[in-house]
Order: sequence, then C-alpha cells, then structure tokens
Amino acid sequence: MEEEKKFYLTKEGVEKIKKEYEDLRALKLSKTSGEIPKIWHSEDLNPEYLSFQEDLSFIETRITELENIMKNAELIKLPSKEKQSIVNLGAKVLVQVEGQTDEFVIVGSLEANPSLGRISNESPVGRALLGHRAGEEVMVSSPIKTIYKIRKIKYKNI
Amino acid sequence: MKELLKFFIEVGKLKKMPRRGWVINQIKNPESIAEHIFRSALMGWILGEEKRGMNKEKILKIALVHDLCEVYAGDTTPYDSVLPKNKKALRVLMKTWPRFTDKEKKKKFQEKYRKETKALEKLTSKLPSHLKKEIRNLWLDYKKGLTPEGRFFQQADKMENFLQALEYWKKYKKPPLCPWWLWAREFFDDPLMLEFMELLDEEFHKK
Repeated sequence: MEEEKKFYLTKEGVEKIKKEYEDLRALKLSKTSGEIPKIWHSEDLNPEYLSFQEDLSFIETRITELENIMKNAELIKLPSKEKQSIVNLGAKVLVQVEGQTDEFVIVGSLEANPSLGRISNESPVGRALLGHRAGEEVMVSSPIKTIYKIRKIKYKNI
Repeated sequence: MKELLKFFIEVGKLKKMPRRGWVINQIKNPESIAEHIFRSALMGWILGEEKRGMNKEKILKIALVHDLCEVYAGDTTPYDSVLPKNKKALRVLMKTWPRFTDKEKKKKFQEKYRKETKALEKLTSKLPSHLKKEIRNLWLDYKKGLTPEGRFFQQADKMENFLQALEYWKKYKKPPLCPWWLWAREFFDDPLMLEFMELLDEEFHKK
C-alpha cells in the first residue's frame, strides 16, 4: 500500500466509490458462495465487473484499495457563499490561456484526469490557481511562463 | 503454445510502429511504440523504488501491457481531431496545446477507450483464459488508476513521453516545447514526478 494520505473526493466521487465497493463485495460473495448476486440483474452494473468476476484476487485487491480510500477520504465541501468567489477544491474554473479558453474542475489527485478537464490540486497549475479570484491573472513559470486569466469560478454539482 | 506464438508475432509489430506524436512533428526516425514501452517500464520500476510499499513487479507488468492495444488501435494524440492538411498550419498548431469543450473531451475520451478495449480484446482473444484476464486487468488498472501502482505508472508513462519530447527538442529543435510544458504542469501531480520535472528543467533549459 501507498503511504497513507488524504484523498479529497467530490460528492460524486464518494458515491461512485461506495457503489463500486458494494458491487464488488456482492461479486466476491457470489464468487465464494456460488450464488448469483442481485446486482447481476441490475441495468447499471458496470460492464467491467464482468471481467473481474472470475478473478477473485483482483476483486480482493480492489476492495482493499477502496477500503483504504474510504478510510482516508475527505469530502470536498461547498464553500460558504462569500468564499465561492475564490478558487478552492471543487471549483469549476473558466480560464483564458495562451489565447484559448478552457475549463477545469480542481479535484484531488484520485479524481484528476486532465483529458476530462479535471486538474489535480497538487499539480503546478492546480496549486497556482488555488486562492485566486475571477479577473486575476495567475502566472505559472519555470521554464516557460504561462498566464492563466481566471474568467469565472463556479461551485455547482460537486 | 501455438496461440502464444501468434500473440508474440502480433505484439512484435509494435517494434516497427512509430509513435504518432513524433510523426506529426516530422521527427526523423521516430521511436517506436515498443521503444517507448521499454523506457517507460524502466522508469516506472526504478522511480517506483523511491515510493514506499509499491509492488514493482506489478508496475513492470502494467508497463509491459499498457500500450499493447495499439497493435490494432494505433497510437493517438490530442491533436488528431484538429490536424490541418497544410504544413504551415500544422507547424502553427503544434505551437499550441489543443483545448476542447467538456463535451468534446468526454467524447474523445470515450471513443479512445472503446477503440482500445476492442483492440485489446482482439489481441488477447486466443490466449489462455488466465493470461487474457491478467492482461485485461493490468490494462484496466493503468487506464483507470485502480491501484497505487496503476496511478503511479500513469505518471511514469507520461514522464517518459515528456523526456523523449525534450530529447528530440534538444536534437532537432522540435517539437515546440511550450505546449509540452503547459500540459506537463496540468498533468503531473505525484511529488516524485514533480521533483523529476524540476530535474528536466535543469537538464534541458538551465545548462
């Protein structure tokens, strides 16, 4: 196991992890008891679980990993109204960078995926944006200077 | 054994498949996908030694399988959907990092995932069931970051790519580095990789 660290998770992230945990536990039970789990008939069953079903060690590893995440998880809370004008974890930030517009949500490392517009709060850009307000320019340097102009900050749907 | 031989022959094709990002950038004799796998595996393993509790065997296996699907799915880059035919326009495009809307990002991500899943399925379809499952689960670990090893290798894989970009830039003055640094500072967040990124800065820009 990786050294214990806090996992900052959005509400959606927590729900997803809880659901996966419940589903995998049901699968493990079915694997060990030979019963067909109820979730098998559920339409929202993640099709990838189908590939896990015959691999008990994979299911167990993932269950342990999910337990570790849940144990060290910290829910990203919606900041108070007056603090919603500042970039914090969970903020959806519209920026102008190098003449282009982009939008990303600042999330914890576990949910980060820049290809899907989710930037880690521990990345240099994520770190630099934290604490700034709309209208401000944030410079990320070393070795090439880039300016991120914050156009809008939103806190919906976290 | 016959099926294993067929699998090895198919996988061997990666030794001759150039990485698409370098082809677009008109790099002479660009590295192959297999060459990228080789060094990313070394980087995952050796840098992983610095991380407490990491299963290095798992990192190595993830590294070995992470791009196998490209035998059939091919290599993709973020520029693919916006590539102009005109060479001058292409050179201009390569100086920027392509930005997309949320909807476009999601669509591109899902399309790539579907294509690669299908390709891996095809590549491993005749393998003994335990191998097929192991390869698929290791690949899923990499794609989805299911374990600390999978998440760490996601970063090691991209760090190898970044190092190669810097090496080509030093030798050929291309690809343009601005979009690479832009992307790197949004992508890397592992403390060890951030330290490594500073080393790259010193090695390629401050010497």
